[in-house]
Amino acid sequence: MTSQKSALEPPGIIQETAPTEQPDPPQHSRRTVLAVVASFAALGVATTVLGGGLLNPPSSTEDGNFSGETLEFLIPLASGGGTDTWARFIGTELTNYVPGRPGFAPVNEPGGEGISGTNKFARSAKIDGTEILVGTASTVVPWVLGRSAVKYSFEDLKPLVVNGTGGVIYARTGAGVKNVNDLRNRDRPLEFGGISATGLDITTLVAFDLLEADVTSTFGFEGRGPVNLALQRGEIDLDYQTTSAYGSAVEGIAKEGKATVLMSFGQLNESGEVIRDPNFPDVPTVPEAYEQLHGKKPTGQKFEAYKTLLGLTYTYQKGLWVPKETPDKAVTLLRESSEKLGTDQDFQNKAAKVLGGYPLVADAGMADRVREAYTVSSSVRSYVKELLESKYDIHVE
Amino acid sequence: MLDSAMAALASLADPSLLLMLLIGTVAGLVMGLIPGLGGTGAVAILLPITFGMEPPQALALLIGALAVVHTSDTVSAVLLGAPGSASASVTMLDGYSMAKKGQAARALTLAFLSSMAGGIIGAIGLTLAIPLARPLVLSFASPELFMLTVLGVALAAVLSRGNIIKGVSAGLLGLVLGMVGTSPTTAEERFTFGSLFLGDGLSLVAVALGIFGLAEIASRASQRRGQKENISLGGGWGRGIREWLSHWTQVIRGALIGIWAGVLPGVGATAGTWLAYGQAVATAKDKRQFGKGDPRGIVGPESANNSVEAGDLIPTLLFGIPGGVPSAMLLGMLLTYGIQPGPSIITEHLDLMYLIVWSFAIASILGALFCFLSVKQLAKLTKVPFAVLAAGLVAIMLLGSFQEGGQLGDLWVMIILGVFGWLLKSTGFPRAPFLIGFVLAIPLERYYFLTDSLYNGLDWMARPGVLVFLAILILPIVWAFIKFLRARRHSNVDDGHRDERPEDDESQLKNSTWSLTAAGIFAAAFSAALISSASFSPEARLVPQLVSIGGLIFSGILLFTEIRTWLRTRTARVGWTLDAGFALKTFVWMTGFLALTAAFGYLVAVTIFIPAFLLVVARARLKTTVVYTLVLYVVLLALPSLLPIDLPQGWLNTLV
Repeated sequence: MTSQKSALEPPGIIQETAPTEQPDPPQHSRRTVLAVVASFAALGVATTVLGGGLLNPPSSTEDGNFSGETLEFLIPLASGGGTDTWARFIGTELTNYVPGRPGFAPVNEPGGEGISGTNKFARSAKIDGTEILVGTASTVVPWVLGRSAVKYSFEDLKPLVVNGTGGVIYARTGAGVKNVNDLRNRDRPLEFGGISATGLDITTLVAFDLLEADVTSTFGFEGRGPVNLALQRGEIDLDYQTTSAYGSAVEGIAKEGKATVLMSFGQLNESGEVIRDPNFPDVPTVPEAYEQLHGKKPTGQKFEAYKTLLGLTYTYQKGLWVPKETPDKAVTLLRESSEKLGTDQDFQNKAAKVLGGYPLVADAGMADRVREAYTVSSSVRSYVKELLESKYDIHVE
Repeated sequence: MLDSAMAALASLADPSLLLMLLIGTVAGLVMGLIPGLGGTGAVAILLPITFGMEPPQALALLIGALAVVHTSDTVSAVLLGAPGSASASVTMLDGYSMAKKGQAARALTLAFLSSMAGGIIGAIGLTLAIPLARPLVLSFASPELFMLTVLGVALAAVLSRGNIIKGVSAGLLGLVLGMVGTSPTTAEERFTFGSLFLGDGLSLVAVALGIFGLAEIASRASQRRGQKENISLGGGWGRGIREWLSHWTQVIRGALIGIWAGVLPGVGATAGTWLAYGQAVATAKDKRQFGKGDPRGIVGPESANNSVEAGDLIPTLLFGIPGGVPSAMLLGMLLTYGIQPGPSIITEHLDLMYLIVWSFAIASILGALFCFLSVKQLAKLTKVPFAVLAAGLVAIMLLGSFQEGGQLGDLWVMIILGVFGWLLKSTGFPRAPFLIGFVLAIPLERYYFLTDSLYNGLDWMARPGVLVFLAILILPIVWAFIKFLRARRHSNVDDGHRDERPEDDESQLKNSTWSLTAAGIFAAAFSAALISSASFSPEARLVPQLVSIGGLIFSGILLFTEIRTWLRTRTARVGWTLDAGFALKTFVWMTGFLALTAAFGYLVAVTIFIPAFLLVVARARLKTTVVYTLVLYVVLLALPSLLPIDLPQGWLNTLV
């Protein structure tokens, strides 16, 4: 009566098919069930315990050599986005430059817009240099705002390499904007299209506040691409795009005369001053636009906040980080390998588009500059919070 | 233009390109078969391989995979009632019913042929859309997108024939569930109770696999015997093809809706496929067979979900705006080759554009062909006792849905929704509206607010696109009303099949304590949503409140009628049935599996759950059990190094 047979897993592989019209097969005795389940359970536990030990042997990363190791990149965002592409590309290339050619294992840990994964890293990352965090604007901004969900601090991490980006603010000419002067003294304020005031948009909002531009904002767009389309349709008047999207989103409509590029965010130089973006050498920066509008150089709290945010969300936006307890030898080795990678001509050619025209920075002075940029004064924090509360009715918890 | 097109075709004769296309196609088919992985998984596994290739090879590989994922994800939906992806849950409605009648081969044949046609039409659409894409995308402003989402939600009513109140309640609850997470306008957290996990919203894969897949497993795990019907193609392939040809208008309509949904950013594959199904139902004269194995319910959506992928490539390539994760990865790959998406791609990389078009079309044909040839073998799967399959299915589905977010919480959500899905199914609630509501919740709210804040007053209502949508929404209601009046005047005139409600054998627990409980859950959920939304900011609370008030009204009516029936059937009430007991026991098994995972990791959980389930529940033979478990064990060991798959880690893993 027990000619009941069954197929194994993969669909399509059928061993034999069961004859029809059968009563239910008989029950197995309790002893059989226990014996079978117990032996399989033992197999599973043994594999987990032993396999875990075999697969992750204790590492030796201070011997100037990463052979036999695996560099695990924790990417706190879903696969497929800009940060993910960046991290996978850099990781694949970087492992060829690290002595001993370690393996590369990107791990996506999405959740909480990057906060969950970064929290996890801060909580449990190994401190031998084999676990590396990918940092990006979406994890930096909530940390700056001091959101309660954030359990990490960039002050407890060491940077290995950073890579910047830039961007431009542009306007729809149909809204009567020809240049920066048209941002003020308007009959009707310009409409800015945003995703969320507590994301990367914050830098642009601070720029508008600094310039005292006549701008109202609508948030809720799905991404910068849809904002660009909304501008082309005439639904909104002002938008910004990062350098990598400039070619597909802005260049064409600017040529057609439908949009005009007003200013670039600029870049921070080594002494912390705003300079022109090498990718937009002819476009004035936000502080230059301020000078044009107000006849003097920007100063004060708002400008300090702008410079801080510029550093965090543009100039030093993406980076690879390790816990600060990581031994110096391992950190130096990884940083120097990154530096070699960043200066390699082949890599630069290959990486031109992924890096968006901004170099990988990993020189010896990088860590100090990044430390400087990632030190956020309490007055900047409170100004940003105050701006969000008074102008956008957003209370950061 | 023709020159480049032909040149691109000629380049595909290059063996290395053809090989890449073939590898991509096979990888796409395999990934589609595994519930929960789909296009994202396929591109994720292939992407790292492409680093270092020439752009044409890399494109052929990725496009090959993208084009066929929605061809093979139908297999598990049709045969096992476990959709391979969220959009395959549409095909499941009719495909699975057909398979249960012993016509699995017929359903699969229809599905594969439609997938192929959808892919080819999609590729043609891609070619034609190149010059038209910009005006098309630009003519769809926020008001039109808002109306489109309204139309989608209105489908809930169409898809719940016979029990509109239940359908609308389910749709509204789906909307509420979709709003869990970060509000699109104010970025504040809603219904998350301070949890970061809920802050991202529930995972679509987990919701779809739970509400359809796990619910199905629970209600059928008691089957210890295989299907007895002899499976035959009934007249061979010729008949299958002829039947399919008779539905050619549905194929074309489905494909066009798919392209259109793919072109518009923010609509997505799942919603697009549902729109195609809704359109098939709404335009059919005789709707009685829908949900019970109507071929039109397979053909339209199946053709749509393949053409969505082609449509999606249009904004990806021409604007740099990807519609989904797979196309986002494709975009990333193009950037690494220095190919800048944007309007200029047509002039600068026309050859690559045509290569994409050809690859898409050829992969669609190859993919459908491979699947088509294996229909007979695949259909035999229904002869295997369901209980035996269920053990592996639970393991694979949970693993698949873990891949998206990598969070154990998703799996708990899946099981909870599985129980809920089973309750809906057995008490006669349609589940399709629930999923549509879930998918469209955020777009609906987003485009409502954008429309409201970017336009003055009700000016947007006068836009021509909006008027078209309004007409589509209102005319059927007016038409139904006129028909209703006419029918009342000539009460003996047969005006179709209005009164013949689908007699569903699925919902054995209708009009019982169970359905009363379900109605109670609905009312309680809407009340809870209404109360907790009071603490949101005015912008964030408007839509949830409107939805919960609507939900309270509908579920109130429901509760009222349920209580009345309950009181009336005091004596002959359906109580604890054998099936219900079995289903709930199966959920206890699943919960146990997940608890084991949390404690000891996935591998240990599988080595305990599978043999125990096979021996105790399925009563499989000892030999079968041992081989089955060993095979799964080996697969799980090998999988993480072969595919981009992570096994859930337990407390034990953190110790070693």
